Amino acid sequence: MLARELFEFRSQIQAHKLMLVYSGIMSEGILFSLGEALRRKLEQDDTDRNLTKRVFSVFVEQVQNIIRYSGDAEGSAGTAAGDAGAGAGALRSGIVTVGKDGGRFFVICANMIDSAKAPRLRSRLEELAALSPEELKVLYRRKLKEEPEAESQGATLGLIEIARRASSPIEFDFFEVDAQTTFYGIRVFI
Amino acid sequence: MTAVSSVLFSGIDLPATDRSPAVRFDPAAGALALSGESYPEDAAAFFGPILHGLRAFLQMEGPSVTVDIALIYFNSSSAKALMNIFQMLEEAAANGRSVTVNWHFAPDDETMEEFGEDFASDLDAIDFVMCADEEPSG
Repeated sequence: MLARELFEFRSQIQAHKLMLVYSGIMSEGILFSLGEALRRKLEQDDTDRNLTKRVFSVFVEQVQNIIRYSGDAEGSAGTAAGDAGAGAGALRSGIVTVGKDGGRFFVICANMIDSAKAPRLRSRLEELAALSPEELKVLYRRKLKEEPEAESQGATLGLIEIARRASSPIEFDFFEVDAQTTFYGIRVFI
Repeated sequence: MTAVSSVLFSGIDLPATDRSPAVRFDPAAGALALSGESYPEDAAAFFGPILHGLRAFLQMEGPSVTVDIALIYFNSSSAKALMNIFQMLEEAAANGRSVTVNWHFAPDDETMEEFGEDFASDLDAIDFVMCADEEPSG
């Protein structure tokens, strides 16, 4: 039974066209290892170098956002994500997966966030999704020169980078688990 | 300040790692060069000494400045740090220091070429040179 169940699990992953699936603690070390695996896989498949770079960039920015902002910090009782030094000490966790469907790569990330932070994140994402490539370029250049906002740690630039590498508007969704925590997911086609 | 003076005295010579660039800062020659990958675990910590050393160097009268950037990939935190470096150089250039930035990229690397244009778009005093090189190492 065990092997069969696992085989079905694997089949589900394949049915979703996923080439890489990770769920659990996110750290810089894990980001690096998964990133290496992703790069190697894309290289093996003779993926265009520029496309590989874009996929890798979206992957890195998304995972680093989880490391910095995920509200699912294990062992830190109720610490709001985004506190000074977030990611240092507090163990962040989330899901990241990369797939290829119909010739297009996609990167999906999902993680818990503090419900209080959801509206701001949603409005940022809505703003980005509405912009044309040219407008994204202008915004990127402007944000590059700005002082980072308090407690932002540069996420805005990271999100703009993700939006710039996307071949269609970024998709995102929020599910309120309870009053304090919201599950957030983002899917980016490259 | 001791850290800064030691940087000014001996410069910086860091080998590249899997995720951080090789850094060569030679104050006597007025040369700074970055090459490789840049998505360090902590970009602020990695670029801090470079920014401090450069700031101290620019505050003194000295040689003209040549910066060579030959990065394969960098994340948004590194982009921010690079912009801080360029803003510092722009200010020095606006005050009369001669500053050249050579932005190296592989001819077929659209991403790095566009990043060069992003940075150059707002730098007027710096001589910002786009260099489409043949295959950089790595």
